[in-house]
Amino acid sequence: MPSVFTVDPRSGVPIYLQLIDQVKRSVAVGALAPGEQLPTVKQLALDLTINPNTVARAYRELERDEVIETAPGRGSFVRANGATGTANKTRDDVAAQALSIAVRQAKSLGLSRLEVAALIETTLERWFPKEEAQ
Amino acid sequence: MSTISIRNLSKSYGPVAALSEFSIDIEKGSVFGLLGPNGAGKTTAFKCMLGLARPNHGEVLYDGAPLEARTFERIGYIPERSVLYDWMTLGEHLEMQRRAFSRFNVGRAKELLTLFSLDPRKRVRALSKGMRTAAAVVLAFAVEPDILILDEPTTGLDPVNQRAVLKLMIDASAQGKTILFSSHQIGQVERAAETIAILLDGKLLLEGAVDDLKSGWKIVEGIFDSDQFSIDGLGADPGVRRIERTGRILRVSVRSDSDNVANRITQLGARDVRTLDLNLEDIFLGAVDPSANLEQGAIVQNREQN
Repeated sequence: MPSVFTVDPRSGVPIYLQLIDQVKRSVAVGALAPGEQLPTVKQLALDLTINPNTVARAYRELERDEVIETAPGRGSFVRANGATGTANKTRDDVAAQALSIAVRQAKSLGLSRLEVAALIETTLERWFPKEEAQ
Repeated sequence: MSTISIRNLSKSYGPVAALSEFSIDIEKGSVFGLLGPNGAGKTTAFKCMLGLARPNHGEVLYDGAPLEARTFERIGYIPERSVLYDWMTLGEHLEMQRRAFSRFNVGRAKELLTLFSLDPRKRVRALSKGMRTAAAVVLAFAVEPDILILDEPTTGLDPVNQRAVLKLMIDASAQGKTILFSSHQIGQVERAAETIAILLDGKLLLEGAVDDLKSGWKIVEGIFDSDQFSIDGLGADPGVRRIERTGRILRVSVRSDSDNVANRITQLGARDVRTLDLNLEDIFLGAVDPSANLEQGAIVQNREQN
């Protein structure tokens, strides 16, 4: 298995969410390929020294989100189809969250809606110049 | 059905209530961490569970039944204080354990001795504090227990052996065994336990899944232009559990929707508002802080500025 997973148990972010996030990101950037096998719950729990039921919870949610599928007796695998959709959705979620934080900070600094909109427009112009638009 | 059910357990030593109406359920196959400062009642709870102390009232049920001999045989126990005899060798202790527990696994005992580099010919007197702890771990795990009750199972161990004990617990849990343990090392509890309870002065303060507690608690911090800011209406928010002001800084402990509170603090005129995640140590310290009362409504605290 690729040892792409690490967790920070001392973080305030729940471990099962850290794991879900990492698997999704790995799928998004292609570090985990469709059809690739994930470590068993026990193996990953021992590798990371974390609670096995926490790993199982992450796997269950990843199955529900259609990122992985589990074949009884064979193990868990990255889904062949649906992985791209998930990758895109993860990408969108991460971007939306970053933008939301930026806008909230601008608001708490006392900027008006119009001023924030103008800032976003300027920033967009910088990274997506008009000729590159679409 | 949960494997272990502790119901209204109370135990006093003279006028001192070591445990008051303590109740928890420990699901089969789970790892349950018991946290609390020294003298909180953790060891008393373990002793009552094993029949080593008689509770004043309340009961402990294993699969719905009180402790009996055949249940006792399925329990691996590490006591808080070493009960090894100084004048006996480690091998002699293992032999005693083999005679007392029908499920004692000699091969497993040997593996565990090797894991911790323990020499069975050594007398207990010659063992360091950490090696005694390791010996207690070997004795507890070699009886092939279904239930493990571990009172500070890593005391005195070096980081490598601490990690080895955690891995033994994780492996046992993956095999469906039920584990209750206490530790002052919150980082270990954060790793190994899925559910925790915090005891203080013999009373249950807080209980829940570690991941749910982390998701459930946030701190919203606001920085104001002057220390004369108003917090009008903040305490009325049902999610707010603790309000702490230090000079120009406002820190609010929030259960549930922290966005609401962040917005409100922005409206109160904060220059900067941040939402912080709480780890288990923050939650623990918040829970045992005598000036805080996380579960019973918000309190407002004014801190002196240094």
